[in-house]
Amino acid sequence: MRELLEIIRAEYMFVYGDIIRRKSAFISLLAYPYMLTVFILGIGYGLGGLNTFTEKTGADPLLFYISGSYMMLSIMAVSDDLLWRPDFDHWMGTLPYVLLSPVKRVYRYVAIPLPRLTLVVLLGSTSIVPVFILLHGVSGLVESLAIIAMTIAASLSFIPVSLLIMGLLYRSTGENWRVLNIVRPLIMILLGVYYPRYMMPWVARLITYLIPSSSIIEAVQRLLTSLELDSYSWMLIGLATALTLIYLPIGVRSIVKWEGKLRAAGVKTE
Amino acid sequence: MRDYSIVAEGLVKRYVTRQRKGLFKSTPQVIEALRGVSFKVRRGEVVGLLGPNGAGKTTTVKILATLLIPDEGDAWINGFHVVKDVDDVRRGIGVVFSVEKGFYAKLTGRENLRYFAALYGLSSSEAEKRVEELLRLLELDKLGASDRLFEEYSLGMKARLGLARALLRDPPVLILDEPTLGLDPPSARKIRSLVREMAGNGKTILYTTHNMFEAELVCDKILLIDKGRIIAEGTPGKLKEKVAGKRTIVAHVRGDKMLVSRTIEGLEVEKVSVEESEEGLTVRLLTRSPEEVAGILLRELVARGVEVYTLRIEEPTLEDVFIYFTSGVGHEGTT
Repeated sequence: MRELLEIIRAEYMFVYGDIIRRKSAFISLLAYPYMLTVFILGIGYGLGGLNTFTEKTGADPLLFYISGSYMMLSIMAVSDDLLWRPDFDHWMGTLPYVLLSPVKRVYRYVAIPLPRLTLVVLLGSTSIVPVFILLHGVSGLVESLAIIAMTIAASLSFIPVSLLIMGLLYRSTGENWRVLNIVRPLIMILLGVYYPRYMMPWVARLITYLIPSSSIIEAVQRLLTSLELDSYSWMLIGLATALTLIYLPIGVRSIVKWEGKLRAAGVKTE
Repeated sequence: MRDYSIVAEGLVKRYVTRQRKGLFKSTPQVIEALRGVSFKVRRGEVVGLLGPNGAGKTTTVKILATLLIPDEGDAWINGFHVVKDVDDVRRGIGVVFSVEKGFYAKLTGRENLRYFAALYGLSSSEAEKRVEELLRLLELDKLGASDRLFEEYSLGMKARLGLARALLRDPPVLILDEPTLGLDPPSARKIRSLVREMAGNGKTILYTTHNMFEAELVCDKILLIDKGRIIAEGTPGKLKEKVAGKRTIVAHVRGDKMLVSRTIEGLEVEKVSVEESEEGLTVRLLTRSPEEVAGILLRELVARGVEVYTLRIEEPTLEDVFIYFTSGVGHEGTT
């Protein structure tokens, strides 16, 4: 446990040191939730108007998309941090020294996305809490806090999925960044944030049931429509928890196998 | 085995590359990087792994550092097997690979060390104490570099920080892969003196280099490696005995390399090295009759229109020992 806490602490120092000193990254992190919401609402308003959306989904478009952007950014923070880290370490030349760490891999890979996730969750909450309070009063505060908690759960449940993708990807291809540029939008679609999964074709819908975060996102969408967490929503959260627990050891194994493949070919040290 | 910190037995490594033939066709090509490397390093010894580029130095140290799995053979560090006991091996070694990279650019030297300390299992209180000690030992605090971003470091500072990271866990074994490559003379001197200091504190050090002068200064014992094989080993003095009774002719000339090589072919010499650089060619000849050969060489070169700048006769150095054991002519990487 001490080892895990030390690694988490080190990751916070590393990520915040890096982000704060990269001005453009810091500014984009601050501006992203607002930009994304305005962009999507703008497109939606241009296409059919806000009332059409409410008629079709039963949810307030502003709350739906502001929550959606918040969830998407939080989950993508996890996935980006994990999926890009080996390449980043490779470019920095730190990969051999990182691999030489005897610390348990599960600790390290759970710790990696936490600092950026914390930042995105905290910054993003400043964009959703005021809007919910403005539209729904005190109950809006409770709803927004529930959404924040579920967003954290959805993001954390994406760690094992990211590990799984990372292990497979880095084991099978040498041009990871090219594949990642395809994988990223696919993840965005299959999460069902902007295009709810009940509206997807059945094959895509089936795949989304294998992604724990998609189930939590559906529970959030049901909360936005009916303003309560019904038994089906709790079932979705249970499914997501079970899948996370199943995927975590598989994800870590996938990473260990990738490291094994790297060692067989030789870790680049120049 | 108990007396030895590092043991390598019959290490073999083959790399498969692909020879491209057009856009779609390629044929596999096997490169034998190591062809049965065996050696032992006693506790507290500084051993130099000396060889030209592509000789197998880095492949060997990667295997010992658990970053590469050998195709055949075994190796142990502190009694732990490098393939079967990976974590135990990692706990007992400190490693320096490339001096130029290997740290996070946007973190300071201190922050980088703190990060790797956590990664190497040190608690935050241990890490804080150890990092301060190392910043002092490597004189990074004196240089005002502790709180400077890594991207602002000079190469000398980077080398010191790399050494500091290798020492974080105070490991009994250090594996240093060309730690002075590209450094200016004062920085290289500092690194060498630190390595000797660490050896004085009982650390076992495996030091790869292709700099003969450096190997002679730093190492207690030298392993000469070429084309994936250890071709000779011994103390610098003992290796030099191999060329006893011979002397070296060193000539700096300017002219066609092929012409110079052809001129040398007819001479009574044991080993030859012709090295090309921006200044021209450096010719080294190992011979039992230096005065006579030097006279003929000068005459022949001048007769063929080659400009001869300097020509002198020296006592053989480790470089000549290396040339003696390898093919010599046109050998790359000997400095």
